[in-house]
Amino acid sequence: MLPQSRSLAVRAVEACGAYTLLRLRRDGADAGVPGQFFMLRAAPAPADAYLSRPISAAWADDDELAFLLDVRGPGTRALTAGGAVEVLGPLGHGFELAPGPALLVGGGIGAAILPWLVRLLPEARVLLGFRTDAHAVCAALVHPDATVVVEPELVTEPLARLLPGFEGTVYACGPDAMLGAVAALAAEHGVACQLAMEAAMACGFGACHGCAVKIDGRWKRLCVEGPVLEASRAVA
Amino acid sequence: MPSLETSFCGLRLPTPFVNGSGTLDALVSGTLGVSAFVTKTVTLNPREGNPPPRIAETPAGMVNSIGLANPGLDRFLEDDLPRLAELGVPIVASVGGWSPGEYATAVARIGAHPAVVAIELNVSCPNVESGCISIGTDPRETRALVERCRRETDVPVLAKLSPSVTEIEAIATAAAEGGADGLVLINTLRGIAIDRATLRPLLGGGGGGLSGPAVKPVALHAVFHAYAATGLPIVGMGGVAGGSDASEFLAAGATLVGIGTALFRDPAVVARAALELAEELERRGASGPEDLVAAAHPPTSTSSRA
Repeated sequence: MLPQSRSLAVRAVEACGAYTLLRLRRDGADAGVPGQFFMLRAAPAPADAYLSRPISAAWADDDELAFLLDVRGPGTRALTAGGAVEVLGPLGHGFELAPGPALLVGGGIGAAILPWLVRLLPEARVLLGFRTDAHAVCAALVHPDATVVVEPELVTEPLARLLPGFEGTVYACGPDAMLGAVAALAAEHGVACQLAMEAAMACGFGACHGCAVKIDGRWKRLCVEGPVLEASRAVA
Repeated sequence: MPSLETSFCGLRLPTPFVNGSGTLDALVSGTLGVSAFVTKTVTLNPREGNPPPRIAETPAGMVNSIGLANPGLDRFLEDDLPRLAELGVPIVASVGGWSPGEYATAVARIGAHPAVVAIELNVSCPNVESGCISIGTDPRETRALVERCRRETDVPVLAKLSPSVTEIEAIATAAAEGGADGLVLINTLRGIAIDRATLRPLLGGGGGGLSGPAVKPVALHAVFHAYAATGLPIVGMGGVAGGSDASEFLAAGATLVGIGTALFRDPAVVARAALELAEELERRGASGPEDLVAAAHPPTSTSSRA
Protein backbone atom coordinates (compact mmCIF):
# COMPACT_ATOMS: atom_id res chain seq x y z
CA MET A 1 0.00 0.00 0.00
CA LEU A 2 2.89 2.35 0.80
CA PRO A 3 5.68 3.10 -1.69
CA GLN A 4 9.21 2.02 -0.81
CA SER A 5 11.54 4.67 0.56
CA ARG A 6 14.46 5.26 -1.80
CA SER A 7 17.85 6.88 -1.38
CA LEU A 8 18.38 9.12 -4.42
CA ALA A 9 21.73 10.68 -5.26
CA VAL A 10 21.97 14.46 -5.39
CA ARG A 11 22.84 15.47 -8.96
CA ALA A 12 23.00 19.23 -8.38
CA VAL A 13 22.06 21.95 -5.91
CA GLU A 14 21.54 25.32 -7.59
CA ALA A 15 20.62 28.73 -6.19
CA CYS A 16 17.48 30.14 -7.77
CA GLY A 17 17.13 33.65 -6.36
CA ALA A 18 15.90 33.30 -2.78
CA TYR A 19 15.10 29.61 -3.33
CA THR A 20 17.25 26.53 -3.95
CA LEU A 21 16.80 23.93 -6.66
CA LEU A 22 17.55 20.37 -5.56
CA ARG A 23 18.03 18.01 -8.50
CA LEU A 24 18.06 14.30 -7.67
CA ARG A 25 19.00 11.38 -9.89
CA ARG A 26 15.62 9.70 -10.37
CA ASP A 27 17.04 6.21 -10.77
CA GLY A 28 13.75 4.68 -11.87
CA ALA A 29 11.79 6.01 -8.89
CA ASP A 30 8.04 6.44 -9.36
CA ALA A 31 7.41 10.17 -9.81
CA GLY A 32 3.61 10.09 -9.58
CA VAL A 33 1.74 13.11 -10.94
CA PRO A 34 2.09 16.88 -10.35
CA GLY A 35 0.72 17.93 -6.96
CA GLN A 36 1.47 14.64 -5.21
CA PHE A 37 4.27 14.92 -2.67
CA PHE A 38 7.32 13.16 -1.30
CA MET A 39 8.74 12.96 2.21
CA LEU A 40 12.37 14.09 1.93
CA ARG A 41 15.05 13.53 4.55
CA ALA A 42 18.79 14.05 4.41
CA ALA A 43 20.86 10.94 4.87
CA PRO A 44 22.33 11.04 7.43
CA ALA A 45 19.79 13.34 9.06
CA PRO A 46 21.06 16.08 11.40
CA ALA A 47 20.16 15.63 15.09
CA ASP A 48 18.07 18.80 15.09
CA ALA A 49 15.91 17.70 12.17
CA TYR A 50 14.42 14.35 13.07
CA LEU A 51 11.46 14.32 10.70
CA SER A 52 11.16 14.21 6.93
CA ARG A 53 9.83 17.20 4.97
CA PRO A 54 6.73 16.95 2.74
CA ILE A 55 7.57 18.54 -0.62
CA SER A 56 6.04 18.25 -4.09
CA ALA A 57 8.29 17.86 -7.11
CA ALA A 58 9.00 20.81 -9.40
CA TRP A 59 9.32 18.36 -12.28
CA ALA A 60 10.18 14.79 -13.14
CA ASP A 61 12.27 13.82 -16.18
CA ASP A 62 13.24 10.32 -17.20
CA ASP A 63 16.41 10.61 -15.17
CA GLU A 64 15.73 13.46 -12.75
CA LEU A 65 13.40 14.40 -9.91
CA ALA A 66 13.69 18.10 -9.02
CA PHE A 67 12.47 20.05 -5.99
CA LEU A 68 12.47 23.81 -5.48
CA LEU A 69 13.14 24.44 -1.78
CA ASP A 70 12.65 27.39 0.51
CA VAL A 71 15.59 26.68 2.80
CA ARG A 72 14.37 27.89 6.20
CA GLY A 73 15.93 25.64 8.84
CA PRO A 74 18.16 22.67 9.58
CA GLY A 75 15.94 20.11 7.84
CA THR A 76 15.77 21.83 4.46
CA ARG A 77 19.40 22.98 4.77
CA ALA A 78 20.54 19.40 5.31
CA LEU A 79 18.69 18.30 2.17
CA THR A 80 20.96 20.53 0.11
CA ALA A 81 24.18 19.65 1.94
CA GLY A 82 24.59 15.90 1.45
CA GLY A 83 25.20 13.48 -1.36
CA ALA A 84 21.86 11.67 -1.14
CA VAL A 85 18.29 12.20 0.00
CA GLU A 86 15.84 9.64 1.40
CA VAL A 87 12.69 9.92 -0.70
CA LEU A 88 9.34 8.36 0.25
CA GLY A 89 6.58 8.75 -2.28
CA PRO A 90 4.73 9.69 -4.36
CA LEU A 91 2.05 10.24 -1.70
CA GLY A 92 -1.42 11.76 -1.61
CA HIS A 93 -3.63 12.99 -4.45
CA GLY A 94 -2.24 15.31 -7.15
CA PHE A 95 -3.93 17.61 -9.65
CA GLU A 96 -6.64 16.12 -11.85
CA LEU A 97 -6.14 17.62 -15.27
CA ALA A 98 -9.42 18.81 -16.73
CA PRO A 99 -10.10 19.44 -20.42
CA GLY A 100 -10.32 23.07 -21.52
CA PRO A 101 -8.34 26.21 -20.71
CA ALA A 102 -6.15 26.31 -17.62
CA LEU A 103 -5.09 29.11 -15.32
CA LEU A 104 -2.14 28.33 -13.06
CA VAL A 105 -1.72 30.51 -9.98
CA GLY A 106 1.31 30.33 -7.72
CA GLY A 107 2.21 32.26 -4.60
CA GLY A 108 5.74 32.25 -3.18
CA ILE A 109 7.21 28.76 -2.82
CA GLY A 110 3.84 27.50 -4.11
CA ALA A 111 5.24 28.26 -7.58
CA ALA A 112 7.60 25.33 -6.99
CA ILE A 113 5.15 22.70 -8.15
CA LEU A 114 4.00 24.50 -11.30
CA PRO A 115 6.83 23.81 -13.82
CA TRP A 116 5.71 20.17 -14.11
CA LEU A 117 2.07 21.20 -14.51
CA VAL A 118 3.04 23.67 -17.25
CA ARG A 119 4.65 20.82 -19.19
CA LEU A 120 1.34 18.94 -19.13
CA LEU A 121 -0.74 22.07 -19.79
CA PRO A 122 1.45 23.98 -22.27
CA GLU A 123 -1.36 26.37 -23.25
CA ALA A 124 -2.02 27.43 -19.67
CA ARG A 125 -1.88 31.07 -18.54
CA VAL A 126 0.44 31.37 -15.54
CA LEU A 127 0.15 33.98 -12.77
CA LEU A 128 2.78 34.16 -10.06
CA GLY A 129 3.07 36.36 -6.99
CA PHE A 130 6.13 36.84 -4.76
CA ARG A 131 7.26 38.81 -1.73
CA THR A 132 10.45 40.16 -3.34
CA ASP A 133 12.29 40.23 -6.65
CA ALA A 134 14.72 37.64 -5.27
CA HIS A 135 11.86 35.21 -4.71
CA ALA A 136 10.48 36.00 -8.18
CA VAL A 137 13.64 34.72 -9.89
CA CYS A 138 12.16 31.21 -9.88
CA ALA A 139 9.35 32.37 -12.23
CA ALA A 140 11.70 31.58 -15.11
CA LEU A 141 11.54 27.89 -14.15
CA VAL A 142 7.75 27.92 -14.39
CA HIS A 143 6.99 29.67 -17.68
CA PRO A 144 8.85 32.24 -19.80
CA ASP A 145 5.65 34.23 -20.34
CA ALA A 146 4.28 34.04 -16.80
CA THR A 147 2.61 37.14 -15.41
CA VAL A 148 4.71 37.96 -12.34
CA VAL A 149 3.69 40.37 -9.59
CA VAL A 150 5.65 41.36 -6.50
CA GLU A 151 4.19 42.67 -3.25
CA PRO A 152 2.45 44.97 -2.56
CA GLU A 153 0.63 43.78 -5.69
CA LEU A 154 -1.08 40.44 -5.09
CA VAL A 155 -1.48 37.61 -7.55
CA THR A 156 -5.24 37.78 -7.07
CA GLU A 157 -5.28 41.17 -8.84
CA PRO A 158 -4.37 39.85 -12.33
CA LEU A 159 -6.48 36.79 -11.56
CA ALA A 160 -9.54 38.96 -10.92
CA ARG A 161 -9.04 40.62 -14.31
CA LEU A 162 -8.81 37.27 -16.14
CA LEU A 163 -11.65 35.35 -14.52
CA PRO A 164 -14.72 37.13 -15.99
CA GLY A 165 -15.80 34.98 -18.92
CA PHE A 166 -13.06 32.37 -18.27
CA GLU A 167 -14.33 28.86 -18.93
CA GLY A 168 -11.76 26.44 -17.68
CA THR A 169 -9.97 25.35 -14.52
CA VAL A 170 -7.85 27.23 -12.01
CA TYR A 171 -4.95 25.28 -10.47
CA ALA A 172 -3.43 27.08 -7.49
CA CYS A 173 -0.66 26.56 -4.95
CA GLY A 174 0.50 29.00 -2.31
CA PRO A 175 -0.06 30.20 1.24
CA ASP A 176 -3.48 29.58 2.82
CA ALA A 177 -4.56 33.22 2.65
CA MET A 178 -3.81 33.34 -1.07
CA LEU A 179 -5.58 30.04 -1.69
CA GLY A 180 -8.62 31.30 0.19
CA ALA A 181 -8.72 34.45 -1.96
CA VAL A 182 -8.21 32.47 -5.19
CA ALA A 183 -10.97 30.03 -4.22
CA ALA A 184 -13.35 32.90 -3.42
CA LEU A 185 -12.68 34.56 -6.79
CA ALA A 186 -13.12 31.28 -8.67
CA ALA A 187 -16.39 30.58 -6.86
CA GLU A 188 -17.61 34.10 -7.60
CA HIS A 189 -17.10 33.47 -11.33
CA GLY A 190 -18.32 29.86 -11.27
CA VAL A 191 -14.89 28.56 -12.29
CA ALA A 192 -13.61 25.10 -11.28
CA CYS A 193 -10.64 25.37 -8.92
CA GLN A 194 -8.12 22.93 -7.48
CA LEU A 195 -5.92 23.95 -4.54
CA ALA A 196 -2.59 22.35 -3.62
CA MET A 197 -2.39 22.92 0.14
CA GLU A 198 0.39 22.71 2.66
CA ALA A 199 0.57 21.55 6.28
CA ALA A 200 3.25 20.39 8.68
CA MET A 201 3.47 16.59 8.50
CA ALA A 202 5.48 14.09 10.48
CA CYS A 203 4.77 11.04 8.29
CA GLY A 204 2.90 11.79 5.06
CA PHE A 205 0.94 8.52 5.08
CA GLY A 206 -1.90 9.02 7.53
CA ALA A 207 -0.17 7.81 10.68
CA CYS A 208 0.56 10.92 12.72
CA HIS A 209 -2.67 12.94 12.28
CA GLY A 210 -0.46 16.04 12.38
CA CYS A 211 -1.54 17.65 9.08
CA ALA A 212 -5.11 18.54 10.05
CA VAL A 213 -6.81 20.99 7.69
CA LYS A 214 -10.49 21.98 7.56
CA ILE A 215 -11.82 19.79 4.77
CA ASP A 216 -15.55 19.40 4.19
CA GLY A 217 -15.94 21.50 7.35
CA ARG A 218 -14.01 19.17 9.65
CA TRP A 219 -10.37 18.68 10.68
CA LYS A 220 -9.06 15.99 8.34
CA ARG A 221 -5.64 14.70 7.36
CA LEU A 222 -4.29 16.64 4.36
CA CYS A 223 -1.91 13.79 3.45
CA VAL A 224 -4.84 11.39 3.02
CA GLU A 225 -7.45 13.72 1.50
CA GLY A 226 -5.07 15.98 -0.49
CA PRO A 227 -2.74 17.73 -0.76
CA VAL A 228 -4.69 18.81 -3.88
CA LEU A 229 -8.36 19.46 -3.13
CA GLU A 230 -11.35 20.76 -4.99
CA ALA A 231 -11.60 24.32 -3.65
CA SER A 232 -15.16 23.77 -2.48
CA ARG A 233 -13.96 21.02 -0.09
CA ALA A 234 -11.27 23.18 1.48
CA VAL A 235 -13.38 26.28 2.06
CA ALA A 236 -16.63 24.50 3.00
CA MET B 1 19.12 -16.78 13.02
CA PRO B 2 17.16 -17.09 16.30
CA SER B 3 13.39 -16.91 16.15
CA LEU B 4 11.85 -13.66 17.39
CA GLU B 5 8.69 -15.45 18.51
CA THR B 6 7.40 -13.98 21.75
CA SER B 7 4.68 -14.83 24.28
CA PHE B 8 2.74 -11.97 25.81
CA CYS B 9 -0.32 -12.34 28.04
CA GLY B 10 -1.11 -15.69 26.49
CA LEU B 11 -0.56 -14.53 22.89
CA ARG B 12 2.07 -16.02 20.61
CA LEU B 13 3.44 -13.30 18.35
CA PRO B 14 6.02 -13.73 15.56
CA THR B 15 8.12 -10.82 16.80
CA PRO B 16 8.09 -8.53 19.85
CA PHE B 17 7.44 -5.46 17.69
CA VAL B 18 4.15 -3.59 17.79
CA ASN B 19 3.28 0.02 17.01
CA GLY B 20 2.55 2.65 19.60
CA SER B 21 -1.11 3.65 19.70
CA GLY B 22 -1.78 6.57 17.38
CA THR B 23 1.39 6.20 15.34
CA LEU B 24 0.13 4.03 12.50
CA ASP B 25 -3.08 3.91 10.47
CA ALA B 26 -3.02 0.37 9.12
CA LEU B 27 -6.07 1.06 6.97
CA VAL B 28 -4.08 3.70 5.07
CA SER B 29 -0.56 2.30 4.98
CA GLY B 30 -0.87 -1.39 5.88
CA THR B 31 0.61 -2.84 9.05
CA LEU B 32 4.27 -2.10 8.14
CA GLY B 33 5.47 -5.32 9.73
CA VAL B 34 4.08 -5.08 13.26
CA SER B 35 3.20 -8.41 14.89
CA ALA B 36 0.02 -6.96 16.44
CA PHE B 37 -1.66 -3.72 15.47
CA VAL B 38 -2.48 -1.24 18.25
CA THR B 39 -5.32 1.08 17.26
CA LYS B 40 -5.47 4.80 17.79
CA THR B 41 -7.35 5.46 21.03
CA VAL B 42 -11.11 5.12 20.61
CA THR B 43 -13.49 7.19 22.74
CA LEU B 44 -17.24 6.82 23.25
CA ASN B 45 -18.03 9.90 21.17
CA PRO B 46 -16.31 10.98 17.94
CA ARG B 47 -13.53 13.55 18.31
CA GLU B 48 -12.24 15.85 15.57
CA GLY B 49 -9.06 16.48 17.51
CA ASN B 50 -7.23 19.69 18.33
CA PRO B 51 -6.82 22.64 15.95
CA PRO B 52 -3.52 22.87 14.03
CA PRO B 53 -0.63 23.24 14.23
CA ARG B 54 -0.60 19.77 15.81
CA ILE B 55 3.08 18.88 15.56
CA ALA B 56 6.36 20.61 16.24
CA GLU B 57 9.79 19.21 15.58
CA THR B 58 12.13 19.34 18.57
CA PRO B 59 15.69 18.11 19.13
CA ALA B 60 15.70 14.34 18.49
CA GLY B 61 11.94 14.17 18.48
CA MET B 62 8.67 16.02 18.24
CA VAL B 63 5.82 17.41 20.31
CA ASN B 64 2.31 16.53 19.21
CA SER B 65 -1.11 17.77 20.17
CA ILE B 66 -3.53 15.63 18.19
CA GLY B 67 -6.22 15.46 20.86
CA LEU B 68 -7.50 11.88 20.49
CA ALA B 69 -9.01 12.42 17.03
CA ASN B 70 -11.09 9.29 16.38
CA PRO B 71 -14.39 8.24 14.81
CA GLY B 72 -16.05 7.32 18.11
CA LEU B 73 -17.05 3.89 19.40
CA ASP B 74 -20.01 3.20 17.10
CA ARG B 75 -18.23 4.01 13.87
CA PHE B 76 -15.05 2.26 15.04
CA LEU B 77 -17.05 -0.92 15.61
CA GLU B 78 -19.07 -0.64 12.40
CA ASP B 79 -16.48 0.66 9.92
CA ASP B 80 -12.90 0.34 11.18
CA LEU B 81 -12.74 -2.84 13.22
CA PRO B 82 -14.18 -5.16 10.53
CA ARG B 83 -11.60 -3.81 8.06
CA LEU B 84 -8.78 -4.05 10.60
CA ALA B 85 -9.80 -7.65 11.29
CA GLU B 86 -9.06 -8.47 7.65
CA LEU B 87 -5.44 -7.31 7.87
CA GLY B 88 -4.29 -10.64 9.24
CA VAL B 89 -2.67 -9.43 12.45
CA PRO B 90 -4.08 -9.49 15.99
CA ILE B 91 -5.68 -6.22 17.07
CA VAL B 92 -4.99 -4.46 20.35
CA ALA B 93 -7.68 -1.82 20.82
CA SER B 94 -6.73 1.33 22.69
CA VAL B 95 -9.58 2.86 24.66
CA GLY B 96 -9.88 6.29 26.28
CA GLY B 97 -12.56 8.19 28.13
CA TRP B 98 -13.67 10.80 30.63
CA SER B 99 -15.23 8.50 33.21
CA PRO B 100 -14.89 4.85 34.25
CA GLY B 101 -18.33 4.22 32.74
CA GLU B 102 -17.20 5.44 29.32
CA TYR B 103 -14.14 3.22 29.44
CA ALA B 104 -16.21 0.23 30.60
CA THR B 105 -18.74 0.61 27.78
CA ALA B 106 -16.00 0.74 25.17
CA VAL B 107 -14.09 -2.18 26.71
CA ALA B 108 -17.17 -4.40 26.80
CA ARG B 109 -18.22 -3.71 23.22
CA ILE B 110 -14.75 -3.79 21.64
CA GLY B 111 -13.54 -6.74 23.70
CA ALA B 112 -16.39 -8.85 22.34
CA HIS B 113 -14.99 -8.67 18.79
CA PRO B 114 -13.06 -11.84 17.85
CA ALA B 115 -10.18 -9.97 16.18
CA VAL B 116 -9.39 -8.03 19.37
CA VAL B 117 -6.79 -9.90 21.41
CA ALA B 118 -6.22 -7.27 24.09
CA ILE B 119 -7.46 -3.88 25.28
CA GLU B 120 -5.16 -1.02 26.12
CA LEU B 121 -6.58 1.48 28.61
CA ASN B 122 -5.16 4.87 27.68
CA VAL B 123 -5.02 6.65 31.03
CA SER B 124 -2.18 8.87 29.93
CA CYS B 125 -3.08 11.09 26.97
CA PRO B 126 -1.57 14.55 27.65
CA ASN B 127 -3.64 16.30 24.99
CA VAL B 128 -7.11 16.44 26.46
CA GLU B 129 -8.15 18.69 29.30
CA SER B 130 -9.65 16.16 31.67
CA GLY B 131 -10.29 12.41 31.91
CA CYS B 132 -7.56 10.13 30.66
CA ILE B 133 -4.32 11.51 32.13
CA SER B 134 -6.04 12.76 35.28
CA ILE B 135 -7.01 9.14 35.95
CA GLY B 136 -3.54 7.83 35.13
CA THR B 137 -1.78 10.19 37.52
CA ASP B 138 -3.84 9.06 40.52
CA PRO B 139 -3.17 5.54 41.89
CA ARG B 140 -6.66 5.13 43.41
CA GLU B 141 -8.44 6.18 40.22
CA THR B 142 -6.16 3.98 38.14
CA ARG B 143 -6.86 0.93 40.29
CA ALA B 144 -10.61 1.56 40.27
CA LEU B 145 -10.69 2.04 36.51
CA VAL B 146 -8.69 -1.12 35.79
CA GLU B 147 -10.88 -3.10 38.21
CA ARG B 148 -14.02 -1.88 36.50
CA CYS B 149 -12.74 -2.59 32.99
CA ARG B 150 -11.23 -5.94 33.92
CA ARG B 151 -14.76 -7.17 34.69
CA GLU B 152 -16.07 -6.15 31.26
CA THR B 153 -14.04 -8.45 29.03
CA ASP B 154 -12.28 -11.79 28.79
CA VAL B 155 -9.30 -10.50 26.78
CA PRO B 156 -6.18 -9.20 28.51
CA VAL B 157 -6.42 -5.62 29.79
CA LEU B 158 -3.30 -3.46 29.59
CA ALA B 159 -2.82 -0.09 31.26
CA LYS B 160 -0.94 2.52 29.25
CA LEU B 161 0.84 4.78 31.69
CA SER B 162 2.25 8.28 31.58
CA PRO B 163 5.84 9.05 32.55
CA SER B 164 4.66 12.47 33.75
CA VAL B 165 4.16 11.24 37.33
CA THR B 166 6.32 11.46 40.42
CA GLU B 167 6.36 7.73 41.20
CA ILE B 168 5.76 5.38 38.29
CA GLU B 169 5.93 2.46 40.75
CA ALA B 170 2.82 3.70 42.56
CA ILE B 171 0.75 3.92 39.38
CA ALA B 172 2.06 0.62 38.02
CA THR B 173 1.31 -1.11 41.31
CA ALA B 174 -2.19 0.38 41.36
CA ALA B 175 -2.84 -0.95 37.86
CA ALA B 176 -1.56 -4.37 38.91
CA GLU B 177 -3.79 -4.36 42.01
CA GLY B 178 -6.73 -3.44 39.78
CA GLY B 179 -6.11 -6.62 37.80
CA ALA B 180 -4.18 -5.35 34.79
CA ASP B 181 -2.73 -8.22 32.77
CA GLY B 182 0.07 -6.04 31.47
CA LEU B 183 1.40 -2.50 31.23
CA VAL B 184 2.23 -0.29 28.29
CA LEU B 185 4.72 2.47 28.88
CA ILE B 186 5.43 5.13 28.14
CA ASN B 187 2.93 7.52 26.64
CA THR B 188 4.42 10.86 25.56
CA LEU B 189 5.94 13.23 28.11
CA ARG B 190 4.15 16.48 28.65
CA GLY B 191 5.92 19.13 26.61
CA ILE B 192 5.44 22.51 25.06
CA ALA B 193 6.95 24.13 22.00
CA ILE B 194 7.34 27.90 21.70
CA ASP B 195 7.20 29.62 18.32
CA ARG B 196 10.54 31.43 18.00
CA ALA B 197 9.03 34.21 15.92
CA THR B 198 5.95 35.03 18.00
CA LEU B 199 7.15 33.67 21.37
CA ARG B 200 3.67 32.11 21.75
CA PRO B 201 2.90 28.40 22.18
CA LEU B 202 3.36 26.85 18.76
CA LEU B 203 0.77 24.09 18.93
CA GLY B 204 -2.93 24.77 18.50
CA GLY B 205 -3.69 22.80 21.65
CA GLY B 206 -1.16 24.81 23.69
CA GLY B 207 0.92 22.03 25.21
CA GLY B 208 1.54 18.57 23.82
CA GLY B 209 3.35 15.27 24.20
CA LEU B 210 7.05 14.75 23.52
CA SER B 211 8.20 11.61 21.70
CA GLY B 212 11.18 10.34 19.73
CA PRO B 213 14.75 9.38 20.68
CA ALA B 214 14.85 12.28 23.15
CA VAL B 215 12.57 10.39 25.57
CA LYS B 216 14.30 6.99 25.50
CA PRO B 217 16.13 7.21 28.85
CA VAL B 218 12.92 8.37 30.55
CA ALA B 219 11.05 5.47 28.99
CA LEU B 220 13.70 2.94 30.03
CA HIS B 221 13.54 4.27 33.58
CA ALA B 222 9.76 3.89 33.66
CA VAL B 223 9.86 0.36 32.22
CA PHE B 224 12.64 -0.66 34.60
CA HIS B 225 10.81 0.51 37.73
CA ALA B 226 7.35 -0.61 36.62
CA TYR B 227 8.77 -4.07 36.02
CA ALA B 228 10.58 -4.09 39.35
CA ALA B 229 7.42 -3.01 41.14
CA THR B 230 4.96 -5.39 39.48
CA GLY B 231 6.67 -8.09 37.41
CA LEU B 232 3.82 -7.68 34.91
CA PRO B 233 4.40 -8.22 31.19
CA ILE B 234 5.25 -4.85 29.65
CA VAL B 235 5.02 -3.29 26.21
CA GLY B 236 7.97 -0.90 26.36
CA MET B 237 8.27 2.09 24.08
CA GLY B 238 9.72 5.56 23.82
CA GLY B 239 12.33 6.46 21.22
CA VAL B 240 12.75 2.97 19.76
CA ALA B 241 14.27 3.27 16.29
CA GLY B 242 16.21 0.04 15.87
CA GLY B 243 17.18 -3.39 17.17
CA SER B 244 19.60 -2.15 19.80
CA ASP B 245 16.95 0.14 21.29
CA ALA B 246 14.67 -2.91 21.48
CA SER B 247 17.33 -4.89 23.35
CA GLU B 248 17.57 -2.11 25.91
CA PHE B 249 13.82 -2.14 26.50
CA LEU B 250 13.78 -5.94 26.84
CA ALA B 251 16.63 -5.69 29.33
CA ALA B 252 14.73 -3.05 31.31
CA GLY B 253 11.82 -5.45 31.65
CA ALA B 254 9.69 -5.18 28.51
CA THR B 255 8.40 -8.27 26.70
CA LEU B 256 7.05 -6.44 23.66
CA VAL B 257 8.55 -3.33 22.13
CA GLY B 258 6.54 -0.49 20.61
CA ILE B 259 7.73 1.70 17.77
CA GLY B 260 6.03 5.04 17.25
CA THR B 261 7.66 8.25 16.14
CA ALA B 262 10.39 6.38 14.23
CA LEU B 263 7.64 4.98 11.99
CA PHE B 264 6.84 8.52 10.86
CA ARG B 265 10.29 9.04 9.38
CA ASP B 266 10.89 5.49 8.19
CA PRO B 267 7.99 3.14 7.44
CA ALA B 268 10.51 0.29 7.01
CA VAL B 269 11.80 0.67 10.58
CA VAL B 270 9.94 -2.33 12.05
CA ALA B 271 11.38 -4.81 9.57
CA ARG B 272 14.86 -3.36 10.04
CA ALA B 273 14.63 -3.39 13.84
CA ALA B 274 13.49 -7.03 13.76
CA LEU B 275 16.46 -8.00 11.61
CA GLU B 276 18.85 -6.11 13.87
CA LEU B 277 17.40 -7.72 16.98
CA ALA B 278 17.69 -11.20 15.46
CA GLU B 279 21.33 -10.49 14.58
CA GLU B 280 22.02 -9.28 18.10
CA LEU B 281 20.39 -12.34 19.66
CA GLU B 282 22.55 -14.54 17.47
CA ARG B 283 25.70 -12.66 18.50
CA ARG B 284 24.77 -13.13 22.13
CA GLY B 285 23.93 -16.80 21.67
CA ALA B 286 20.39 -16.13 22.88
CA SER B 287 17.58 -18.44 21.77
CA GLY B 288 14.96 -15.69 21.58
CA PRO B 289 13.99 -12.21 22.76
CA GLU B 290 12.70 -13.62 26.05
CA ASP B 291 16.29 -14.41 27.02
CA LEU B 292 16.95 -10.68 27.29
CA VAL B 293 13.84 -9.75 29.28
CA ALA B 294 14.78 -8.09 32.58
CA ALA B 295 18.50 -8.69 31.98
CA ALA B 296 19.20 -5.28 33.54
CA HIS B 297 17.63 -6.32 36.85
CA PRO B 298 19.47 -7.95 39.73
CA PRO B 299 18.92 -11.72 39.50
CA THR B 300 17.48 -12.08 43.00
CA SER B 301 14.68 -9.57 43.07
CA THR B 302 11.83 -8.21 41.02
CA SER B 303 10.33 -6.23 43.86
CA SER B 304 13.06 -4.03 45.28
CA ARG B 305 14.01 -0.69 43.80
CA ALA B 306 17.21 -0.82 41.81
